[in-house]
Amino acid sequence: MLRVVDLVTAYGKIEALKGVSLEVREGSITCVLGPNGAGKTTLMLTIAGVLRPRQGAIEFRGEPIAALSPHAIVARGVALVPENRLVFAHMTVLENLHAGAYQRKGPYENDLEKIFARFPRLKERASQDAGTLSGGEQQMLAVARALMSRPKLLLMDEPSLGLAPLVVEEIFRIIAELHRDGTSILLVEQNAHMALRVAQHFYLIEQGRVTFSGDPGSLAEDELIRRAYLGSARA
Amino acid sequence: MIDFLQNTLDGLALGSSYALLALGFTLIFGVLRRANLAYGPAILFGCYCATWAYLETGIGLLFLALIAVAGSALAGIYVERLCFAPHRKGAAAAAMVASFALWMQFEELATLALPRHLYAFPALYEGGPLSLGRLTLRVESLVMLVAAILVCAALWGVLYRSRFGTAVRAVIDSPAAAELSGISVSAVSLRVFALASAIGGLTGFLIVSGDQQLTPMLGMWSTLKGMLAMMLGGLGSLPGAIAGGVALGLLEAHSQWYLGPQLRDFIAYLLLFILLAVRPPWMNTRSAY
Repeated sequence: MLRVVDLVTAYGKIEALKGVSLEVREGSITCVLGPNGAGKTTLMLTIAGVLRPRQGAIEFRGEPIAALSPHAIVARGVALVPENRLVFAHMTVLENLHAGAYQRKGPYENDLEKIFARFPRLKERASQDAGTLSGGEQQMLAVARALMSRPKLLLMDEPSLGLAPLVVEEIFRIIAELHRDGTSILLVEQNAHMALRVAQHFYLIEQGRVTFSGDPGSLAEDELIRRAYLGSARA
Repeated sequence: MIDFLQNTLDGLALGSSYALLALGFTLIFGVLRRANLAYGPAILFGCYCATWAYLETGIGLLFLALIAVAGSALAGIYVERLCFAPHRKGAAAAAMVASFALWMQFEELATLALPRHLYAFPALYEGGPLSLGRLTLRVESLVMLVAAILVCAALWGVLYRSRFGTAVRAVIDSPAAAELSGISVSAVSLRVFALASAIGGLTGFLIVSGDQQLTPMLGMWSTLKGMLAMMLGGLGSLPGAIAGGVALGLLEAHSQWYLGPQLRDFIAYLLLFILLAVRPPWMNTRSAY
């Protein structure tokens, strides 16, 4: 579904991605692990069109999308939930969701109802400014806003970052639900334990390069990765 | 007492034209966080188009208004594509200086096409002023006041009750998040420029048809008054722009009466200077409307 080939993205002279290749299969959850500064967020921003790659190709359903601007990539069915959430702080929760549906033609009331059924907290706070929500609620809103565009592929950049354990549980429950309903997901996570419960394929990125690719079984087998990302206990 | 009331009435009428100018300025500033110095000169362009059409064909006021609005909107689109679209990321100073260059371009173009310093413009209303007890109000002023209220209401409706308005406020709130939500910042910016300049064109038309004359100074005057009113109301807030415009009008009307016309502009700039130095709370908000 998504193919990234030999991607190089640089900030000035510093290459944050030094030739990354990966693939997301239709209907799968694919997870990218890696330490801070490895280039995970750069990868997500490049796929979403916020950053321009210096080299390499990004194909979504066979169509190159590397030269498109973010709104055009959303139109093709790829939506990013960014790392710092980026909700519209001065707009209400409902207006945030309307903004997420900007590209939709025709009515989308059904989707709003579905979203509110999935995120009851957002329904309670529909007329509240998004800036007044808690961190967990803002994360839910960022996911919900991305879903309003009906993405075929959802990119999620560290959705559990800085959230309380119970909220993290809820986020991963929602990720599993979305997957069951047919959305493909590319997930960046530091929380490898949680990711192991939902993802079917893993990539490890270190210093701008892919250093591991495999299924959850082979990830847990790998001695070095186990020590670095899962602690000493076997997953 | 009657003088005070009369001055207040005159100030309100004057202030409503400033409020309209500040609204357009603020829309552009809110979306781009950039000052568009060519805002007034775009209005000048629209009003010159109308004057030229009047001299050539002698068509009626309604058509002249339409030409002023359309001409200003077109000039606004030209300014956005030439100065602001290439500098959307960073380079705020480059965009502002480029808009200054277009200011010169519009003024030169206007004076090349119609070289006299003063052109007569058909009057909005031929009759005398209305009297309200011992107070008097020009019909032109009343029209300006009503226009300001209608434009504010319409703008509120567009921003808070339409799909386009949601997109505009999303871009003001966070351009990055807007793009990621599927909103084209470039398209929104262009349409906001057209809308703001059209409001400016309407204001320009009401001013020149009220004054019954047009000079090349209209461009600079509109930019200065609009910017001053916007800054008085705190940058980037629409209610602030309206309040700033009305306050500026009242201030000018009263200081002209009590201190004389020479000190009128001085007082306005003095107030701005003091406000910028003291920075009361409302001038620090980066509110998105």
